[in-house]
Amino acid sequence: MRINRFRAAGLAAAAGALALTAACGSGTPGQPADTGGDDAPEGATTVEFWQLSFQDVENEWYEAAVDAFNESQDEIHVNLTQVPGDAWEQRMTAAQAAGNAPDMYTIAYNGVVSAATTGQITSLSPYIGDDVWSDVQEDVLASISVEGEHYAFPMLVEPSAVLWYRTDLFEEAGIDGPPTTWEELQDYAAQLTTGDVYGFGAAQSAGDMGWSTWGLQWNVAGHLPISDDWSEAQVGDEYAPLLQAWQDMYKAGSMPQQALAGYADANPLGEGHLAMNMGGSWFASVLINDFPEMVGNIGAAPMPSFHGDPEAPTATLGGWTWVVDAKSEVPEEAAAFIEATLGGGDDEQLLEYFAGTQFSKYSPRASVNEALIEAAASSENPWAATIAEQIVPFSKPEASYPWDISMAFATALEQAMQGTDVSTALADAEAEINRLIEANQLAGTAPQP
Amino acid sequence: MTQTVQAEPTTLGTAAARRRGRPSGKQPRARTGMNARSNKMAYLMLAPVVILLTIFVVWPVVYAVYLSFYNWSFYTDPIPVGWRNYMNVLGDRTFIESVGRGLLFAVMVVPVQLVIAFLFASLVRTVSGRVATLLKVSIYIPTIVSGVIASIIFVLIYNYQGGILNAFVGLFGVEKQAWLGNVATALPALAVPAIWLGLGICSLIMLAGMVDIPATYYEAADLDGANWFQKTFFVTIPLMKNIFLFLLITGFTAAVQQFELPLVMTDGGPLERTLLPNLYIFQHFRNDTYVGYSIAAAILLMVVLGSISAVIFRVLNSEKAVDG
Repeated sequence: MRINRFRAAGLAAAAGALALTAACGSGTPGQPADTGGDDAPEGATTVEFWQLSFQDVENEWYEAAVDAFNESQDEIHVNLTQVPGDAWEQRMTAAQAAGNAPDMYTIAYNGVVSAATTGQITSLSPYIGDDVWSDVQEDVLASISVEGEHYAFPMLVEPSAVLWYRTDLFEEAGIDGPPTTWEELQDYAAQLTTGDVYGFGAAQSAGDMGWSTWGLQWNVAGHLPISDDWSEAQVGDEYAPLLQAWQDMYKAGSMPQQALAGYADANPLGEGHLAMNMGGSWFASVLINDFPEMVGNIGAAPMPSFHGDPEAPTATLGGWTWVVDAKSEVPEEAAAFIEATLGGGDDEQLLEYFAGTQFSKYSPRASVNEALIEAAASSENPWAATIAEQIVPFSKPEASYPWDISMAFATALEQAMQGTDVSTALADAEAEINRLIEANQLAGTAPQP
Repeated sequence: MTQTVQAEPTTLGTAAARRRGRPSGKQPRARTGMNARSNKMAYLMLAPVVILLTIFVVWPVVYAVYLSFYNWSFYTDPIPVGWRNYMNVLGDRTFIESVGRGLLFAVMVVPVQLVIAFLFASLVRTVSGRVATLLKVSIYIPTIVSGVIASIIFVLIYNYQGGILNAFVGLFGVEKQAWLGNVATALPALAVPAIWLGLGICSLIMLAGMVDIPATYYEAADLDGANWFQKTFFVTIPLMKNIFLFLLITGFTAAVQQFELPLVMTDGGPLERTLLPNLYIFQHFRNDTYVGYSIAAAILLMVVLGSISAVIFRVLNSEKAVDG
């Protein structure tokens, strides 16, 4: 008891300090927006919902969805807070430390399993019926499940890797269509590099490579660099072609010596600095909104497969889910809101989200995805069908093992790019992953869906 | 033998002098009462600071040490892991390298900062009042610029595509460089804004130290025919020893703990070449499920910085009042 009091005092002090940090953080661009808080009907149960702030059009959809739910009934009142990305970690950590975490919040796929196994989020299975879950794609469902319990409701999926290419530059150089092999990609990249235009742009720092190359890791090796039960590293020579490709293009100057922007940023492509750009499906929305004059000159295709199999994965399905905090006192009400908004209560409204983002994201629910692809055909997004039909079906879920493992492999990729011998870089990664397994006692702890 | 005999009174004298500061039971009663009242008042006046320090410094540190022996999160009961967190941190090549890199960064930043600040303060001291004020304001401006803003400004300067620095070196026919993307240039590129940001406060403290030196010393030196270099090396620098010590300790610990610049400018890359210890700890705090590891790393960093500060104190022998 005494220890608990000490602990509570310590936590309060830490929370105070973190709250101060968070307060400072809120001064950064993009203030949190609160909606729905002032007009809660008397007697209604309030559900606090924190949403990571995205594009304006997405934020507006969240506000509309919350308003629609609040107006549809008077028993549950959802209070939405939009938190800017640069303040998210501080605000959430401070809230968790003070015991004031929101009832529900948005979380990326690769964080779900970890949050579930460490008791941060609660299972939604008891609150949402099997008929709703059965509409979610099997792979996606597996990525948010631990021992048969579903801990998050998937909202959208975004393929992490699409090959965006400049059709006009290809035509000028006399190149027909996008590359289908890595030899072609490297050859085209060299040909298309002229002046301030680089042939190929992709992630070039370990932090970006860590997640954006999961699909290519699957593609080149047929597995990720750790065994399924997380007991040992699996970093053999099968990964060499991937590292060699980055090394060759960097050395040849087909890739810039420093990434022109972060991996998630489509601006270098839109501004005309890249002839080919490995980027996520979200590029579509940015290109249509910010660079409409370039849309006609840009094509989209799957990243080439290392072994020639067009159905081998080249991307992972990232994206966002909604979860309920383990300490929430109103999990049932929060789950009711989730089910009504994402689980089939009003799919028309959900489709509006995908339409608003120019069909640059896809639904993990089969029924919604069908309607989405149909609607996308007549949309201003010329790449939606290609991505939906040639990339999404073959993509893998995001890796759920600790981030350090991804960083260890990505560091090897960056080392190779910077000139380290490929075998040496792979050996370093293998040693580091094995050290991490030992240090964090990971062996045998891989969660089973 | 004679030397030994002579040494004893000195030693005893020193011990007696040390004891002199302590309250003694053999003092007259009236004096004791006055001392007691003085002590009470002293304790009373110290109490607010001691209480605040205990709440906001001592207790969090003690609690952090306690937590470092646990796997701990906000949602689960702490799991005792003994020294495992410390062993893991010490076995992590990245942590050891980040500390070494922090020391290297401090070596890049602090001496340059001290030299420039000393020269600048010397200049300010020699010019007229109005010009001196202008110079002081100018040098102090970087200090009030936010580290984050400075980082963004320098990212724009170093930008590979369209950066001002590459445009400048391009005038001399030099190919554009990936200043922040090249393993050889990334850390020095971070050192430049670090020097720039710290120069203002460093210069003003130096200036304050210089102004504090009695003019009579310089007048005496002038009478002896000393030139500027002689006055600088035999008067100014020896009398500013404590100022240098202060700036060295604070500059060193600040440089090793630099966080904003690598966070905003490089996120620790390329290849961890700008991953300084605080950023390493932050990245673990942000990504790890349990925070015991980050806390253990922070405590080890505290030990490293404390040890280095103690060594600097020892080497510069600061307890002597150099101008007294």
